[in-house]
Amino acid sequence: MEEKIYELLSEEFPAIDFKGSDTLVDDGILDSLTITGIIATLTMEFGITIPYEEIIEENFNSIAGLAKMVEKLSNK
Amino acid sequence: MTFISVEFYLLLAIVAAVYFIVPLKFRWFILLLGSLAFYVFQGIEMLPLMLLSSFVGWLFGLCMGKVYERDPKQKKKAKLFSGIAIVILIGMLAFVKSSRYMPESVASKIIVPIGISYYTFSIVSYLIDVYRRKYQAEPNFLKFTLFTAYFPKVLQGPIARYDKLMPQLAEGHKFEYGRFCFGLQLMLWGFFKKLVIADRLSIFTNTVFLDAANMSGSVILVAAIFATLELYCDFSACMDLASGMSQIFGIELEQNFDHPFFSKSAAEFWRRWHITLGAWFKDYVYMPIVTSPRMAKLLQMVKKHFGTRCGKSVMAFVPLSVVWVLTGVWHGTGRAYVVWGIYWGAMIIISQIFAPEIKKLNAFLHINVESESWKIFQMVRTFALFSIGRMITIPNSLSTTALMFRKIFLDFRPWQLVDESLYTFGLDRKNFLLALFLFFILWSVSMLQEKGSLRLRISEYNVVFRWMIYYIAIIAIIVLGIYGPGYDASSFVYIGY
Repeated sequence: MEEKIYELLSEEFPAIDFKGSDTLVDDGILDSLTITGIIATLTMEFGITIPYEEIIEENFNSIAGLAKMVEKLSNK
Repeated sequence: MTFISVEFYLLLAIVAAVYFIVPLKFRWFILLLGSLAFYVFQGIEMLPLMLLSSFVGWLFGLCMGKVYERDPKQKKKAKLFSGIAIVILIGMLAFVKSSRYMPESVASKIIVPIGISYYTFSIVSYLIDVYRRKYQAEPNFLKFTLFTAYFPKVLQGPIARYDKLMPQLAEGHKFEYGRFCFGLQLMLWGFFKKLVIADRLSIFTNTVFLDAANMSGSVILVAAIFATLELYCDFSACMDLASGMSQIFGIELEQNFDHPFFSKSAAEFWRRWHITLGAWFKDYVYMPIVTSPRMAKLLQMVKKHFGTRCGKSVMAFVPLSVVWVLTGVWHGTGRAYVVWGIYWGAMIIISQIFAPEIKKLNAFLHINVESESWKIFQMVRTFALFSIGRMITIPNSLSTTALMFRKIFLDFRPWQLVDESLYTFGLDRKNFLLALFLFFILWSVSMLQEKGSLRLRISEYNVVFRWMIYYIAIIAIIVLGIYGPGYDASSFVYIGY
């Protein structure tokens, strides 16, 4: 899952090094518009709904966090 | 009574003196008394409406707290309570703000409490956060009223969040000389921006915009640039005064400005200008739309029929459109403000949707987007975009805005920029050149602030040099400040919102 999300987001946001940081939100690499783009990409790719409660730094700080969130929401 | 009046500073001095005399645990109560006194001085008739808003927020917050106490899963009931309270609060705000559309006989009787847009948004954020169980409801009505009406932030914000402000308000703070000096320094810079720069520029802009029909395009263009800097100096000055006086009490208000004119795009600009308003819309309008199940369904449907690219465009278009129309309406009720909101929204949406094409175009034109010259161009472009936005809202009449644009394009007289013409619109040659020099000071200070805390650096200088800076600033404010009748400066622009 991590690899798939990495490929997907790297293609979508080539300027961002998703593997280069585990603090993407904390370091200001992801702003709200980029986070929206990530939500749109994951929603359309995996057919999930990402609820407001999941928009937390822990989930968006790294590819691992995003993969964990997608897996959790896919199993719902 | 605004932040630029003698009465206000008498009140501040009394509140500060009493605050540091009474025992720590009662200090929040002094701030409450000071805040209520501030409202009374503004006009006692405003007090009941502010107290009513505070009561609605406190009562329904408490009801939600009780619901969650009994059964933490009872979100539906809590949602109902928060919904009712928000309808009441936004209804009150919409009612007083729409008074311009009512007959004069009715409108003249409507009381518009000062700061209603700011405290209403603060209370709404509190209610939504309690509903989301981000924190517990406030049990003490008087403390909640202090959160609503805390006087340094009530005039023009920042739009305070309960979890950041309330703990600081409730906790009594000891007097600290260093913090006191820091607060005064910030206020000094605020006074300088307001009295020396903003109010000087307003003389020129008022003269030009009040008679725009008889002005040439070149003069209107200069006035539009001045109006942009005037608004920045005016609004950020008020924030510096609010933050500075709050620091004296040991209370840090949220940052509302981060050198917005160093922004390289419209989206970045709005993350650095009126930060707390943007953050409010992001947390309570934008993200709820982005994360709603309906939005997810819409995206999947659009993707199925029109492809992924179209889905992403929908995701950019829908929430940003709602946010920007609402941002426009928040600033004012006229059509011009809706157009202004659409103007900014369209710019940000287009830059989002067409980001890949813009990137390709830059590559095609061999533009090095990392070069300093490109970054400077982007900053100038941001400034120009903001100035165009100012021209939409300043006259509050779209026909006048259209006339001004027509003049800039069809009646531009470049020689007026270099002959003596510009010295005939309220600012004589001396004052006009001084204004240009003040821009240089503003830019220099902003550059230094971007590199780190300027106040911290000043505090590290030796005492002689440090006090020399203070004296120069004080003398500049006294000598160069623009004072109206009774030494009352013109009021702050954002108070009207």
